[in-house]
Amino acid sequence: MADTDDFEFLEIATSGSRRRVPPQLVIGAVIVSVIVGIGMVSVFWTPYDLNTVDVPNQFLRPGSDGYLLGTDKLGRDMTSQIMAGARNSLLVSMISTVASLIPGVLIGLLAAGASPFWQRFISRLTDIGIALPGILVALVLATSLGPGNPTAIIAIMFWFIPTVARVTMGPARQILSRDFVEAAQAYGRPRRFILFRHVLPNIGPLIIVQASVMFALAILIEAALSYLGIGAQRPTPSWGRLLKEAQPLIDKAPYLMIIPGISIMVAVIGFNLLGDGLRTYLDPQQTAKGTG
Amino acid sequence: MFRVVVRAISSLLVSAFMGSIVVFLLLRMLKGDVATVILGQTATREALDALRDEMGLDAPLVQQYWNWISGVFRGDMGTSYAAEFDIAHEIWVRVPLTFTLAFASLILSALVALLVGTFSAIHAKDWRGTWVDILSQIGIAVPSFWLGLLMVTLFAVRLGWLPAGGYVPLTENFIDGVKSLTMPVMALAIPLSAVLVRYVRSGMLEVLDEDFIRTAQAKGLTLRRAAWRHGIRNASIPLVTVTILQLGSLLAGAVVIENVFTLPGLGRMLVVAVGGREALSVQSLTLVLMLMILTLNFLMDIAYGLLDPRIRDSGGSVPIA
Repeated sequence: MADTDDFEFLEIATSGSRRRVPPQLVIGAVIVSVIVGIGMVSVFWTPYDLNTVDVPNQFLRPGSDGYLLGTDKLGRDMTSQIMAGARNSLLVSMISTVASLIPGVLIGLLAAGASPFWQRFISRLTDIGIALPGILVALVLATSLGPGNPTAIIAIMFWFIPTVARVTMGPARQILSRDFVEAAQAYGRPRRFILFRHVLPNIGPLIIVQASVMFALAILIEAALSYLGIGAQRPTPSWGRLLKEAQPLIDKAPYLMIIPGISIMVAVIGFNLLGDGLRTYLDPQQTAKGTG
Repeated sequence: MFRVVVRAISSLLVSAFMGSIVVFLLLRMLKGDVATVILGQTATREALDALRDEMGLDAPLVQQYWNWISGVFRGDMGTSYAAEFDIAHEIWVRVPLTFTLAFASLILSALVALLVGTFSAIHAKDWRGTWVDILSQIGIAVPSFWLGLLMVTLFAVRLGWLPAGGYVPLTENFIDGVKSLTMPVMALAIPLSAVLVRYVRSGMLEVLDEDFIRTAQAKGLTLRRAAWRHGIRNASIPLVTVTILQLGSLLAGAVVIENVFTLPGLGRMLVVAVGGREALSVQSLTLVLMLMILTLNFLMDIAYGLLDPRIRDSGGSVPIA
């Protein structure tokens, strides 16, 4: 992002009187930082090797000596698997979110500046994209491309790009009808300049909030896909896959199912709170309602 | 009203057509390799050619698409390659279960959202509103399939109240049927209602500011009674809009939940077909699931028109800004 964009965005964020930082923003930021931290640490270090089988130590309960979160049916350490699962979850979500934002925002912006015919055409296309849920697309893709993280990422993008385009288009059209846009036009600024230098910075906060919400959604979708067996495959660590493996054992070792589920939930809550908090922080008028 | 219906139908048809093209193309991202995928890398050239011929894979794409889609209209979707069953028949048998699952979850979560959302709007400023906020935040974050697993552990394994999986058709034994659907519907409805509650709450907060609520209060109703009597109908309108946007997730959730509870619906069939890389089944199944989303969407559009006379008269649903 160019310096000017950052500048304008900061200006929006700090304009008006000094604002109180909403509690959701703080809690969300803390949770997200912790999970990102864990994910990053797992790249260099985990308490045990992820795939070392240690059958004598199988089904150790959480809190057992040296195994904070216990071990699975082959004696593999759960703490290490949860840590590495955070890494995979974040990686898939980040790639799919960022890769969707760029084309999505571009399509939304260009559509907002296009003729009514194109606007209607793009809206119709995005409607269909939104109606085709990511999991469904992933299942179709898994048939032709095979299971794995790339399939999950492409499928999530398939769902997110139209959503972003849709979320960008409406507000961009509103900004385009403002006086300063008219002034820029009168001044002879080309359409593309107006879209990227005037409209984009003004809808920036909205896109950041949307990104945070999408990130949370992507974590949920990644987990569901891995649970169904079309996301990450062993040896790639994944929370959803841990749940799949834990299901046949729920009467014997329920903790194997409870721990990955809580991890997913906490991560999603973290990103949702972050999004909510940013929304409140960046748009004071919405404070009272606090929804969206 | 007539205009609303015509518009909803035409939008249904256009979306179905474009969606079918998307599904068709997604499955052809590996050009011509469908045969290799089905028969495996070790298949002989003759076997591959024979299969390609049988499935019409050598025909131009437009021809292939036409063969498929005209087959769908005739109720002929081909036979499953591995299991040798008639795909159209198999889908037809499974539609009622998936539809029941999705529809029951939809109605249940809309009702819960209306009640809880209105409650939290009335109590927005005290601890009861805060509790609803926290609970909905958690509800949104819970993966529905994990919720399903938790319920299996508690209600099936520990308490033995409900079956852990499987399905008894409602028409066969109503009580057992309801029992087998209780946990799947709950697992789908709880996260969905958590999403919807927040919209009802913010819609209701706006409605409570309106003049007609003040009028009702001036006529002697308490805020709470005014909200229940006059507010709910008004707050239902944004609820319908948001629910339309959630339909895709709902059906996707149903696909996953059917696999948690081994329910013999479309979702279970789809995941099995993907596992066997049965391109023909996957293609038609996805189309049918998409048609279900669009049909529910259509029904919601009509409900929208019925709820709000302003839309009924002006024609067409209001675009979501």
